[in-house]
Amino acid sequence: MLADRINTDDKFDEMLGRALRSSSEPVPADFTKKMLRRIRQADEQKILAHVILQERLALAGCIVFGAAAIVAFVAFPGAIAAVFQSVAGSFTQRGGALVDRIPQTIETVRGQWQIYTVFAAMAGFAVYSIVDLLAGDRLRTA
Amino acid sequence: MVHKIWDQQKEGNWLRLLRSGDHGAFARFIDKYKEMVFLCCRRLGLREDEAEDVATETFLAAYNGLSRYSGRAELSTWLWSIAYRQAVSYLRKNRRQWQFEAELDESRQVGSGEEQEPAAAIQGKETEKIVWEAVDRLPRLWAVAIILYYREEKSIIDIAKIMRAKENTIKTYLFRARGRLKKALAQALGEDIDVGG
Repeated sequence: MLADRINTDDKFDEMLGRALRSSSEPVPADFTKKMLRRIRQADEQKILAHVILQERLALAGCIVFGAAAIVAFVAFPGAIAAVFQSVAGSFTQRGGALVDRIPQTIETVRGQWQIYTVFAAMAGFAVYSIVDLLAGDRLRTA
Repeated sequence: MVHKIWDQQKEGNWLRLLRSGDHGAFARFIDKYKEMVFLCCRRLGLREDEAEDVATETFLAAYNGLSRYSGRAELSTWLWSIAYRQAVSYLRKNRRQWQFEAELDESRQVGSGEEQEPAAAIQGKETEKIVWEAVDRLPRLWAVAIILYYREEKSIIDIAKIMRAKENTIKTYLFRARGRLKKALAQALGEDIDVGG
C-alpha cells in the first residue's frame, strides 16, 4: 500500500522523485517543426536586418563624405587649394623628384592637422562604405 | 570512464554544432528539452496555448544566446533558467495578481476542497497521478522548486539560480511543499503518516 511506502522520509523522497520522473508533459506534436520554421524566419530576418544596416551605413558614408567635401571647399578654400597645389606641384613640376616634395607636403599637413584628420576619417569611412556596398557580400562569403 | 569521455566528446561536438547554427543539431536540442520547457511553463500556471508561445520564445532566446553559453552550468539548467524567466515575465505582463498567487496562496489546500476525491477512488489511481495532482495544487513557485529538486535532480544552488531566489528561500519552498505533499498523500489515503522533516 502507498501509505506503507511513504512512512519514512527517505522512502517518501524516493517515491516522490520516482512519481515525478515517471510521467511526461504533453507537447504539441508538431512543435519541433514549427520551432525550426520560426528559427529559419528569425535567421532570414537577421540577415535582412544586417544587409539593410550595411546599405544604410554605406549611404550615410557617401552622403557624409560628399557633404563634408562641399563644406570643406566652401569654408576652407585656401587650405584645400594649397593641398592640391602642393600635391599637384609635386607631380607636375618636379616629376621624378616627388620624394623631395614629401617633407613640404608633410609640413603643410602638420600645420592644419585637425582638418586633415577629420578628412582622413571621413575618407576612410567613405571608402569602407563603398567597398562594403560593392563587394561586402563577396568578401564575407569568400 | 571511457564511456564518460566519449559522452563528453559527443556533447562537445553537439554543442559546437549548436553554436554554429546547425538546424539539425538544434532540432535534436528541441526534441530533448521541449518537454522540460513545457513542464516549467505549465507548472507556473500558463494555459496550453500560452505555454506554447512561451516555449517558442524560450527556444528562440536559447538559439540566439547559445554563442554566449559558457558551458559552466549544465545545458538543462541554463535552459530551465531561460524558460523560467520567459514564463515569469509573460505572467507578470499579463496577470497582475500572479506574483501574489504564486508565492502567497496558502489557501490552495492540497488534497482538499472541491477537487478532492473519495479516498477509495484515489487509492485506485496510480501513485504518479496522485502525486502530480497534489503538486498541481501547490503554490506555483513551490511546485517548480519541487519538480526541479525531485524530478530534474538539481541542487539547491542551481534551483536558486534558475528561480533567482536565495538558497534559504528555496529550502523553505521545498520544506513547505514537501510537508504539504506528505499531508496530501496521507489525506488521500485516509491514513496517518508523519508529516515532519
